[in-house]
Amino acid sequence: MAFVSRGFRGRQRRDVDATRVPPGQYVVNDFPVLSAGPTPRTDTADWSFRIDGEIDEPLSWTWDELMALPQETFTVDIHCVTKWSKLDTTWTGVSIDTLLDGVDTEAEHIVAWCDGDYTTNVPLEDVTGGRAWLAHTFAGEPLAAEHGGPARLLVPHLYFWKSAKWVRGLTLTIEDQPGFWELAGYHNYGDPWREQRYWSD
Amino acid sequence: MRLDGNALAGVLVEALGTEMTEAPRRCQSCGAVNPVGAHLLYQGAGWVLRCPACGDVALRVVSLSDQHVLTFAGEWRVETPR
Amino acid sequence: MERLRVDWRVATVSGVVDETPSARTLVLDVDGWPGHRAGQHADVRLTAEDGYQAERSYSIASAPEDPQVSLTIERIDDGEVSPYLAGELRDGDQFELRGPIGGHFTWRAQEGGPLLLVGGGSGLVPLMAMLRHRAAAGSDARTVLLVSSRTEEDILYRAELDRLASEGDGLAVHHTLTRGTPEGWQGSDRRVDAEMLTEVGPPVADAPRIFVCGPTPFVEAVADLLVGMGHAPASIHAERFGPTGG
Repeated sequence: MAFVSRGFRGRQRRDVDATRVPPGQYVVNDFPVLSAGPTPRTDTADWSFRIDGEIDEPLSWTWDELMALPQETFTVDIHCVTKWSKLDTTWTGVSIDTLLDGVDTEAEHIVAWCDGDYTTNVPLEDVTGGRAWLAHTFAGEPLAAEHGGPARLLVPHLYFWKSAKWVRGLTLTIEDQPGFWELAGYHNYGDPWREQRYWSD
Repeated sequence: MRLDGNALAGVLVEALGTEMTEAPRRCQSCGAVNPVGAHLLYQGAGWVLRCPACGDVALRVVSLSDQHVLTFAGEWRVETPR
Repeated sequence: MERLRVDWRVATVSGVVDETPSARTLVLDVDGWPGHRAGQHADVRLTAEDGYQAERSYSIASAPEDPQVSLTIERIDDGEVSPYLAGELRDGDQFELRGPIGGHFTWRAQEGGPLLLVGGGSGLVPLMAMLRHRAAAGSDARTVLLVSSRTEEDILYRAELDRLASEGDGLAVHHTLTRGTPEGWQGSDRRVDAEMLTEVGPPVADAPRIFVCGPTPFVEAVADLLVGMGHAPASIHAERFGPTGG
C-alpha cells in the first residue's frame, strides 16, 4: 500500500444503504456540476425538441407545446459514474412515453443529441415504460443551465452521463450508435447496479 | 469552471511518459494551432480538452483504476528525447 | 523538454511558514528531487490508514536554485486536503509528491524579458517561483508583476515582494485590492482593468512575454483585456486554477 500520512483522515465516509446506493458510490448533498463543454444558453423562446430517424414523420414540439403535454413530478435517485450519488431528487417533466405515443418504429435504439456536441445512446426500451423523461424542473425550480436547462433527458436507472443535458432531440436508430462517452471508454449501456462504468466491465 | 491543458499535464505524463503541454496541436475543424497547455479543459464524466479557437474536441480522457483511455482528435506534434 | 521520470517520491516537512491567516508554505525535503522550472507544479498524494487516498496539485513556490521544494497552500474551510496540509501537518511529517509537472507555463531566465506577470490570489504562487528564479539567476529582464488580492492581509509574500522590487534590477510590483483598502494604501483599489494594465505594464510594442495565473474568471478576464489591448494571443500563457475539492 502507498505511504500513509500521519493524521490524514480524508472525507467523512459514512456507511451507505446498499439497497439505495449502487456499489462503489458515495452519497452527496450538493449537486456537482460536470460538463463535457461550455454551458449552452438557449432561451425557451428559441427551444424546440424533435424526434426523428426511423419514424414516418419527424415530430417536434416548441416549449409551449411541451408544457401543454401531461406533466409528471417524481422523485428518483441519480448515480454518476464519477462515484457520487444523489438521493431523492425531485423533477418535473414529460415522460418519453408521452412523446413517443402513437409512434411506430423498427428502431431498437435512440441517440440523444444536444446543444453543444454531446450525444449518448440508449436502448429504446430503456427510455420507455416509464423509465425516462424530458425534465425541465428540478426541486421545484426551472432547471438551471449548468444542470442541463432548459431541459435534459433523465434516465435515472442508468449512470447519469446517459441523462443528456441540453437535449434537443432523440433520433430513433436501427443500429446502436455509441455516443460521446461510449466511444471514449465508458460502458455502452451503463447499469450502476452491475457497476458497468467502463468499456471493459 | 473550466481549466486549461496545464491541469491535464500530470495525467498526460502518467499516460504517455512525456510532458505534453508545449506540444502544438492543429485543430481538425478550424486549423488553428495552439499548444496543449492553451487548450480549454472541461470535467465531465471524464476530461475533455477543446480547441481554444473553435471549441471542438481535441482529446477525451477516461481513467480506470488500471488504465487511462485517451481518444485524440486533430494533429498533435509531440517531440520526445531518445 | 528533457524526459523526466515522474514518480511518486517521499516529501518530508522541514518547516512551515504562515504567509497569511489562510495560507501556509510547506518547505520540503524531497528524496531524489530532479529539479524543476519556475512555473511547474507538483501533485501531492495523501493516504489515510484505511487506504483512502486523495490527490491535489500545487504550484511550486520555490526557485529551481533552492534545494528544498516549497508549496504554498491556501486553506479552504471545508476542504478535504488543505486543512490537513495547511493545518495539521508538522515538521517531520511525510507525504507523497510527484513532479515536476508542466511546461507551457514555465519561464527560464535565459529566455529573457520583458515580462508581464499577472496573478490573482494564489495565482501568485507560480509567478513567485519565476521571480525567485529571476533573482537567483541574476537576471535583469524588465519585469512587471501585477497582483490582485482581496484585502491587504491576503497578499502572499508581501515583504519579499517589497524587497525584490527595491533591488533596482528592473522589477516593478503593483498591487491592487478588490475588497477594501487600508488607510494610506498606495496601490490600486479595484479589479484589474485595461487602464491599470496600460499604466503599469510594459507597452504592447515591447512584445512582453505574459504569464497570467489565478481562478478561471480572473485569468479569462485579464487575458481578454490583454488581447483587446493588442497583445499577441500567443504571447499570453495562462494557467487557470479551479476548485479541486479543497
